[in-house]
Amino acid sequence: MVFASLTFLYWFLPVVVLLYVLVPKRCKNVVLLLASLVFFGWGAVKTLPLLGASILIAYGVGLGMDMCHKRARSKQRKSKMAKCLLFLGIGLELAALFYFKYADFFIENINRFTGLQLSLLHVMLPVGISFYTFQMISYMADVYCRKQPPQKNLIDFAMYICLFTQLVAGPIIRYTDMAGQLKTHKTSWEDAAAGLQRILIGLSKKVLLADIFGEFGQKMQETSSPSVILLWLGAIAFALQLYFDFSGYSDMAVGLGRLFGFRFPENFRYPYCADSIQDFWRRWHISLGTWFRDYVYIPLGGSRCSKWKWIRNVFVVWLLTGFWHGAEWNFIVWGLVFAILLILERKIKLPRILVLLLVVLNFVVFQETDLSVAVFRLGGMFGLGGLPLCSEEGWYLLKSYGILFLLGGIGATPLCRQCTEKIRSYKWGGILLRMAEPVVYTGLLILSTAYLVDDSYHPFLYFRF
Amino acid sequence: MKKKEKEQNIEKRVSTSHKGLPVVLTVSIVWILLALLCFLKPEQAVSFQERRLLNQFPELTLSGIRSGAFMEKYEKAAADQFPFRETFRSLRAVSDQYMFRKKDIHGIYYAEGYLAELLYPLDEDSVAYAGERTRQVYDTYMKETNVKVYLAVVPDKGYYLGEDNGYPVTDLSRMKEIMQEALPEARLISLEDTLSLSSYYRTDSHWRQEMLGESADRVLEAMNAEPFTDLEKQEATGSFRGVYAGQAALPVETEPIFFLTNDVLEDCKVYDMQGNPDITAVSPVGIYQPEALTGRDPYEYYLSGNAAVLIIENPAGDPERELVVFRDSFGSSLIPLLLRSYGRVTVIDTRYVKPKALGDYVQFQDQDVLFIYSSLLLNKSDSLQ
Repeated sequence: MVFASLTFLYWFLPVVVLLYVLVPKRCKNVVLLLASLVFFGWGAVKTLPLLGASILIAYGVGLGMDMCHKRARSKQRKSKMAKCLLFLGIGLELAALFYFKYADFFIENINRFTGLQLSLLHVMLPVGISFYTFQMISYMADVYCRKQPPQKNLIDFAMYICLFTQLVAGPIIRYTDMAGQLKTHKTSWEDAAAGLQRILIGLSKKVLLADIFGEFGQKMQETSSPSVILLWLGAIAFALQLYFDFSGYSDMAVGLGRLFGFRFPENFRYPYCADSIQDFWRRWHISLGTWFRDYVYIPLGGSRCSKWKWIRNVFVVWLLTGFWHGAEWNFIVWGLVFAILLILERKIKLPRILVLLLVVLNFVVFQETDLSVAVFRLGGMFGLGGLPLCSEEGWYLLKSYGILFLLGGIGATPLCRQCTEKIRSYKWGGILLRMAEPVVYTGLLILSTAYLVDDSYHPFLYFRF
Repeated sequence: MKKKEKEQNIEKRVSTSHKGLPVVLTVSIVWILLALLCFLKPEQAVSFQERRLLNQFPELTLSGIRSGAFMEKYEKAAADQFPFRETFRSLRAVSDQYMFRKKDIHGIYYAEGYLAELLYPLDEDSVAYAGERTRQVYDTYMKETNVKVYLAVVPDKGYYLGEDNGYPVTDLSRMKEIMQEALPEARLISLEDTLSLSSYYRTDSHWRQEMLGESADRVLEAMNAEPFTDLEKQEATGSFRGVYAGQAALPVETEPIFFLTNDVLEDCKVYDMQGNPDITAVSPVGIYQPEALTGRDPYEYYLSGNAAVLIIENPAGDPERELVVFRDSFGSSLIPLLLRSYGRVTVIDTRYVKPKALGDYVQFQDQDVLFIYSSLLLNKSDSLQ
């Protein structure tokens, strides 16, 4: 099930909220767990046992490590047994991720480079496996490092992992952020209002912007007369689509969390306003960036080591970041390009516009699983390949989607937020905004619904990761 | 002092706890109402605006859940059965048109009071395929005969509307050229200059019968046949909403359907062969079908709409003269205007009948044969057999 669907918005969510409100406090987590299992099983009921097994492994490893810690002589010493359990737990979780997500990629490449004829597994990729696997790894690592005691209540733990608000496409929520909230979450009017507003902002980003950018991208891909301008527009459209799609999902996740009394960390902070590549990654998919920083980069030595080790660390982290996004070469190349840019940035300060340009160009690589197509598109954007500057169809599409690009460009900056804050700072402005808010948000709900009714299938791009 | 502080705290708590109340209440009321309607609204079988059957909620079965079919069907039904579906579709269309200023909605655009389909770019492969299918029919049935073959391409509405309003237009000349190359034996009849924007319905893809006099004359002149001179214009209905109105969902006004008739046309008998080559086994109907006006597509008023093979018998026509028309839906309203000289007209739509079966209906000898297809079909001709 996806957030941007009528089934979720008008069938699933109202029932869950109703049950959540009606049941006594001690049963609220059970309701959320059951709802999350229905949500997850809706699209892939066959993968529910895998999710269950992964949860049981992480839960068991957490408890096991805690027992080992207690037996250890001092708090500082971590027993060898705990370490073994940690490696076992992480190994099992990664093995599942490898089998379901990467096995066919390796088989294909082994066949390609050795001439062998190994058959592909064609296993179904469980939705959200990359996200929940990382959550479980962070949980086990944090328990091992004694940052947080393990969760002893299996229902609470399973609810934390499965919570439908962030199960399938993040943000990756650390157990350290959730542990304190598992038993204490409750919703005030303010939470409900903030949650609803955030849900509707996310829904609108997805349905009113991302999906229409996707429609433009589709037309660009199908064109019989490609041109330089059309290729540039296609690249910009994809960059904006990806941003509104994923940040829209994250907004909905944060809003839904708030609706049930949880506070989730932010996942995006206007990444296209970044003034460096490093800054971009502090603003884009923040939960993934910090996860890799804390669980891969720093354990490898981070930047507090020799120059060559640092370069190695950067490459390892970005190779894994790219590979996390998908079992294709283009994702690996995409990650490595960022590694190179980050290393270069240590020596040269890139101008802001160049940062944005490089990010957009690299998203072309991200978009095209066939690297030769990516090379053709990138070449075409710079006039190689003999394409005309513009075609009749290109002009038509530009005229037809011009407003969308304008709205998308504005929406990707904090301009709207700054304007609202400015208006709110005036006495009458604040009153006016308070009066306008219910109308605006109801309008967004109705308009998004209209777009969903007319076109029922809206998969989020990040689901495939 | 303590009491005052306490009161202030309570006041603050109350104001904070109710800060979001207006948003929560307003949004929730709309949300809950729509959700309730989703649960309570009876299922609808057909959408007349979209001219299609609507998806129904599936039955809950274990195998359906296991295979995922239940969920897939449920998602589709949830969209199709959504309360006020047509209103929401219109809202989207209006938003696309006026807020996003999109030039077209699902490939349909609105200009000068007309809805038209964006027929661009020209799909040369598709036109060549149509040409190849036409060629095959000719080679199979007409090669060694005395038939006279004619070819005409009906321009789409966008041909007259697009350019002046900034929309790309299909290259009709190239389309005709490809068809002519495929069938050089046919005499090409140009219709572009006999038509104008007002020859088409505002909300539908088709042309208006009452505006086809000049086009019919052009075809009949090429075939050396007589036109009707005494046709009378009558209104069939005043509330026609064409196919584009349903597809685009833009709020547009309905329009009338007129038809042309006279005593000769009223005496004509139409046999819908429906896979049965024996004409005596078929009950004839008239040229126009009033019951179609209340059906899914009122344009089916003309010659009963889409049919594989129709035979029209004209008692007032020359019994020795026969016309065979290979056509798409545009032919339905034109063909009645061509009947005067012909005792028998066979109307064939190869989207619904395989060419190898045509020998059961027509013995090609010395007939006039007209291939008339719209540019809309030629640019997407995969339905031709």
